[in-house]
Order: sequence, then structure tokens, then C-alpha cells
Amino acid sequence: MKSSTLLSGIALLALVGVAHAHAHLKRSIPADASVVSVAPSSVVLTFSEAARLTAAWIQKGDAAKQKLGPLPERPATEVTVALPALQPGTYVVSWRALSDDGHVMPGQIRFAVSESPGAGPTQH
Amino acid sequence: MQDILSVALRALSFLFLLQAAGVALFLAIFGRLLASSADAIRGLGRWSARVGLAFVAAHYALEAARMAGEFSGIWDLSLQRTALRSGGAAFGVRVLGLSLVALSLRRVDAGALVLGVVGTAIAVAAFILVGHTAVHPQRWILAPLLMLHLLIVAFWLGALLPLYLASLRESPEISTTLVNAFSRLATWLVPGILVAGVALAILLVPSIGVFAQPYGWLLLTKVALFAGLMGLASLNKWRLGPALGRGDHRGGLGFRRSLLSEYVLIFVVLTVTAVMTTFFSPE
Repeated sequence: MKSSTLLSGIALLALVGVAHAHAHLKRSIPADASVVSVAPSSVVLTFSEAARLTAAWIQKGDAAKQKLGPLPERPATEVTVALPALQPGTYVVSWRALSDDGHVMPGQIRFAVSESPGAGPTQH
Repeated sequence: MQDILSVALRALSFLFLLQAAGVALFLAIFGRLLASSADAIRGLGRWSARVGLAFVAAHYALEAARMAGEFSGIWDLSLQRTALRSGGAAFGVRVLGLSLVALSLRRVDAGALVLGVVGTAIAVAAFILVGHTAVHPQRWILAPLLMLHLLIVAFWLGALLPLYLASLRESPEISTTLVNAFSRLATWLVPGILVAGVALAILLVPSIGVFAQPYGWLLLTKVALFAGLMGLASLNKWRLGPALGRGDHRGGLGFRRSLLSEYVLIFVVLTVTAVMTTFFSPE
């Protein structure tokens, strides 16, 4: 294999392309790494393509994970999952999503519920 | 934990599936050159197919546990049904292909060779039923590229242990003829792995920015490992293979060590692929 072939191959990678792969998170409400003043009653996950949530949890700080549900039965690009009543603190919502292409993708977002209800939502 | 186990099972299923398929290809292409190593090579292929079937089944069974995020998911019938709907076809096609390969290696006739090649094509075709190529709008070009990429990988990987066995059991003359015949074909085919791989990356990778992310790093790791493999293959072709033909004991030893090094490197590439396709996507 000539090195020039290898280099030109790698260079070609930079030129063109279309992204269609496993579903990945595009955005969420609350946003990842955000601080909200009002505890959300649900989390909304928007994926790059239709996905089916097969499991989801919420964890406050170092406490045990709590399962979330019920989860939607059908794949969708936007998935809403109800949350339990949240106290001020830092939370991690994690999930498993099955993409259309058959791959199971793990994911998570972190957000904090602030102590002061007067402050508006902020992004970090 | 179930993710790490899934990656390990996936990498091992890739290894044994491609090895079994490659042994069937090796026998179809070079079988007529073999004398005293043919039975051992057929035995290797049968064993690889059986072990491959076990790893394919174990990996498939674990998918429900991955969906649940805990091992108890294996017993969740609803998740198993979901796994069946999403990956059942690929699993069935893999099992069919490997079974045909195993069956073909029980016999010694022209029909068996054809059956082995058909089994190989079916086993490899299972890869286009899941993953990016299964749902991509440019599937018409991605699927044949992935098939070509994997068939050549199977040809290369599947030849390493048979060449190792032949170098131990065959005369220096037969070993040399075999190594030369393999090298001539490999020189033309193996660059196809890179060509098809680059074409796949062009279609799947959205921008150069991917190379600042784990998916891109793993892709570059594969390219670097491939370059190392090409170095070892060149060493075999130009130095160690000819030494084997001279009946040089140390040359034979070096040749076999180099074959094993190639085997280990290919397994590392397959493991990187398993990590890449389990956890990341070209975003």
C-alpha cells in the first residue's frame, strides 16, 4: 500500500458526507448542564432520528437511581417522559434508546433545580 | 457492565464469524494446493463456525439487557420481542450463514466449496441488515461497499491460521506455492479494504469535525492499525515468506510469528469497531 494512497484516502474524508447513523440527542428540555428555577414535571428529549426509549432513570446526586415511566411504546424523534416531584439539587436523567438501525444507544443529561425560585432558567 | 460484555461478545463474534467465513473462502480458492494440512484447516473452520454461533447468540441475547440497562432485561419478554423486531433478521441470517459454513466444512467435494462460499456471503450479508447501512438513504451504495470491505477482511483474516497450519504441516515447496498464491491475490484485494472503508467513511462522516470526537479518533485508530497490518503483510511477502520457501527454520518461525501478530492486530481492529459501533455515531 503506497502511503500516498493512504493519505489521499484520509484527505477524502474531509470532503463530502451525509450524517445518518445511530439516533443521538439533539436537544432536551431542560437542557443539558442547565440550572432551572422551577422543577420540571417532565423531560423532553429530541433525537436526530426516531428512537424508542427502552429504559430511563433519574438520579439526584449520589442517591439511588429511580426508574422513569411509563415510556412511549413507539419510536419518535421527540420523547416526553414524566418526572417525579423534584427538590432543589443536581439531577442526572439517563436512558437507553433503540435507534431505527437496531443499535441501542445510552445517553444522559444533567441539570440542577435551584434553591431560589425567583431566578429564571440559565444555561451553562 | 452489560455494555462492556456486549462489546466483548460483539468483537469475538466478529472474529469467529469472519474467521469461519475466511476459512471457507481459503479452501475454495487455495484448497487444491493443500496436501497434509487440509483436514486440520477444515477442522479449524468448523470449530470457528461453532464458536462464532455461540458468540453471535450470546451477543444477541444480551441486547435486551442493554435496552433495559441491567442484566435482568434478558428475562423481559417485551424487550426480547423488541430485540427480535429490530435485530432478529440479522441474527437469523448470521446463524444461517455460519451453519452453512460449518456444514460445508464437513465434506470434501466441489459442492461443499460452493456451499461454503454461499454460507460466507450470507453470513457477511447479515452486517448490512443492521446499523448505518440498514436505514441510510444511500443504502444502494453503502451495502455493497460494506459487503466488499467485510469479504476482503474475511479473506485476509481467514487465511492467517490456515497459512500458519500449512507452514507447519506442508513441505517447503507446497508452503511456498501457497504463500505466493495468497500474496499475489492479497496484493490486489487487501487495498480494497481501505478503498471501501474510506468510501464508507465519506458517506457516513458528516464533516471533518468528527475527528475531534471519539468516533473520529476510533476511525483514525483503525486507519493506523491498518497501516501497521500492511507493514506486517509486506514483511511476510518480501522477507519471511521467501525464507519459509528456503526451508530456513528461523525464517519459518518468523513467518508464523508475523502471521500471529497480524491476527492479533486484526482482532484489535475488530474490537475498536465493536466499541465504535456500540457507543458512538458520526454526529
